[in-house]
Amino acid sequence: MVSAKDLLYLTAHPRQLRSIIQWKVWHNPVHERDESKECESLKRCFHFLTLTSRSFSAVILELHPELLVPVALFYLILRGLDTVEDDMTIPLEKKEPILRSFDDIMDKDGWTFTENGPNEKDRQLLVEFNVVIEEFKKIKPAYQVIIKDITKKMGNGMADYANNAEHNKNGVNSVEDYELYCHYVAGLVGEGLTRLFVEGGLANAALLKRPELMESMGQFLQHVNIIRDIKEDFVDKRRFYPKEVWSKYVTNFEDLFKPENKELALNVSSEMILIALTRADDCLYYLAGLKEQSVFNFCAIPQSMAIATLERCFQNYDIFQKNVKITKGEACELMIQSSQNLRLVCDVFRKYLRKIHQRNNPHDPNFLKISMQCGKVEQFIESIFPSQKPPIDAAKSPVSAEQAAKEAAAAHEARWDTYYMILAVVLTITIITGSMLFIAWLAGARFDIAFSEFKQQFGELLGSSNASGAPVSSLVEDAPGHVEL
Amino acid sequence: MSSAPNAGPSPGKVLVVGGCGFLGGHIVNLLLKQHPRTQIAVVDLRTTSNRNSHANVSYHDGDITDLAAVTTLFSQIRPDAVIHTASPHFNAPNHVHDKVNVEGTKNLLKAAQDTGVKAFVYTSSASVILGPETQIVNADEKWPLVTGAAQPEYYTTTKAYAETAVLEANRTPAHFLTCAIRPAGIFGEGDVQLLPKMVTALRKGQNKFQLGDNNNLFDFTYVENVAHGHILAVQALLTSHAMLPTIPLDTEKVDGEAFFITNGQPVYFWDFARAVWHEGGDTLPLSGVWHLQYDFAFAVGALLEWILWALGKTPSLTRQQVRYSTMDKYHNIDKARKRLGYEPLVDLDEGVKRGVRYIVEQEKRESEKKGQ
Repeated sequence: MVSAKDLLYLTAHPRQLRSIIQWKVWHNPVHERDESKECESLKRCFHFLTLTSRSFSAVILELHPELLVPVALFYLILRGLDTVEDDMTIPLEKKEPILRSFDDIMDKDGWTFTENGPNEKDRQLLVEFNVVIEEFKKIKPAYQVIIKDITKKMGNGMADYANNAEHNKNGVNSVEDYELYCHYVAGLVGEGLTRLFVEGGLANAALLKRPELMESMGQFLQHVNIIRDIKEDFVDKRRFYPKEVWSKYVTNFEDLFKPENKELALNVSSEMILIALTRADDCLYYLAGLKEQSVFNFCAIPQSMAIATLERCFQNYDIFQKNVKITKGEACELMIQSSQNLRLVCDVFRKYLRKIHQRNNPHDPNFLKISMQCGKVEQFIESIFPSQKPPIDAAKSPVSAEQAAKEAAAAHEARWDTYYMILAVVLTITIITGSMLFIAWLAGARFDIAFSEFKQQFGELLGSSNASGAPVSSLVEDAPGHVEL
Repeated sequence: MSSAPNAGPSPGKVLVVGGCGFLGGHIVNLLLKQHPRTQIAVVDLRTTSNRNSHANVSYHDGDITDLAAVTTLFSQIRPDAVIHTASPHFNAPNHVHDKVNVEGTKNLLKAAQDTGVKAFVYTSSASVILGPETQIVNADEKWPLVTGAAQPEYYTTTKAYAETAVLEANRTPAHFLTCAIRPAGIFGEGDVQLLPKMVTALRKGQNKFQLGDNNNLFDFTYVENVAHGHILAVQALLTSHAMLPTIPLDTEKVDGEAFFITNGQPVYFWDFARAVWHEGGDTLPLSGVWHLQYDFAFAVGALLEWILWALGKTPSLTRQQVRYSTMDKYHNIDKARKRLGYEPLVDLDEGVKRGVRYIVEQEKRESEKKGQ
């Protein structure tokens, strides 16, 4: 399972190794699927789920029991639809009616499809599609309605594209077309899932009133896939980068892969990444509307992976040459951080946004626009998780010139008040002391004796008693008042 | 993005004080672009620069620190609305700031109150909430003013005092409505502070350096957007005036309120500088930039300040510059969006292009002159 190369990589990146171990050892699913209660056809469905979806099966399998089966079936039905659409060996006149009526197929007991080409990787799912239909009948009617509605919209959208000769030949034309295509293959999934969450009571119903948020959830993931897979799609003769974007830089799409056009190719990828980034704040906003942990994880993990993948692709010429992926260790770290709360997911977004803007090339035509978009998402994060409160006016700043003048005058006055107070105290003490001494003198007090006594004792205290001892005692003897008394 | 004629209700007869300055000139131009039939009077200390030749604009020399002269002008012009953008240069001495920003504004208020002006919009500054230690992270209008001893820039203190005077004059008398606009980091064609300094730094080769980690977001505002904010404020006040004596709800009120006006597009400080430099002809790749840590740069700045102070020169790196280029300073403008219906007319990148091209053309003209 782990190749020597992986092992070498992990030895050099112990942090990533730590994340892998942490995830494997400590991660407990929020909910666990109870296989013992499942019938054969449902088991078969889950078998197909793990077989067909690489990234999604893990998060689907941990979903809340209320939605586990509906979401798994929703996924398989769309995968079935996609397998019909993708297969270039099926002639259009055969393909189109199947795509347009795929929602009705869900009512046809025992329907299967065996005409996929032998190389179609998920053909077995359609060969045994009867198990999906059987399980679909058992889920709550409200869920059936939602899944059918989305299937119908997506099938029609795909049929329109299959019919569009221009699209098949030249790929996507304008940015509007590109977003419409992403709407059919991903935006609609966002809508369907959101309706399922709200129906199941696991998400805030307000999410349905802001349809652009759920649209962005799907769009963002799809944009990132398209950006990352440019080389793989090119080899498969598919072009999803809109002509409106690449034609600004090169005349022919294939010129993007020529080494002499490296700079231009990077400009194209930057512009594509900018378009994707305009969805990032909506995605975070959407996540704030989810109430249940397993639903949160289900939605947040792919979004974190997407922003990390986007960062990996940014200013990276490798995407035009080979398959670019985030490492397993990074993926585990992202899963740990994205299966807790919105704050940590916001931290993940901010971390990768900053990595993106740090590599932003000042000479790219979209340089400042990318910076503006990163700043916009950072500001949005700041608005939901403020890093500081409005400061308290500790210094009590004066608000007007009058107040400032008044405060200055008051401070001035206060200082003089203090001086006056001190003066008054000193004066009072002087007067009282003076009058007491005067009264004492009138009554015959001998201050001269008291003074010499004081002087002598003070002198003794300082250690020079010899000089002043005699005169004082003689003075005392001479004192007439003393004798009389 | 509506800069078409007749955008919104007519602003009536508008008096732009400081209409020959950088911002004031742009306000006059945008007013005429959006409302070609409106009458505009400009009062400025000297009315020689940034003049618009449109027939509906009249220019009047006047000193706002002279109450008698101001009153005479007001009774001649009798405007419906006043936009007061006049302010001395940031580095002017303190007594000038007192005289122009505080006394001048009060003179204008007095004259406006006495001559039946309906709407009075004052150009304050986003810095009125910026203290010496704080960072401005997504700040809104609830942040307190920082003035007096706590405010290191005397200019800013006097801007705040003038703002308070304007807002306190609201609805005295009852038909006199006022508000304040607080723009952040204005730049554009004719700007004398921000872009010219950055282009000079490029010409000196200082674009090789980056201070701090460049993760700090900063609000810069293209001048036409600031002008747009002022005009929206005039319109909103006149609309409230037409509703009199009904008073708008507290959550919709424009009169007596202050509004941050920015591009609503904060960017990383050095990204803005690099966008300016790129437009100015810079080709230095990102890998060629030297990163100086904040603490190191701060120490160097201090050292340079002392040494060059001793030599009687101005240093090319100061502590204030280090602080400004490494701090967060961006605002939440939701209040202006909701109550004024404000959205920037021109995106930040387009604004940078226009502003820098203006400087580059100026440089060209000057070098041609020298060449002759």
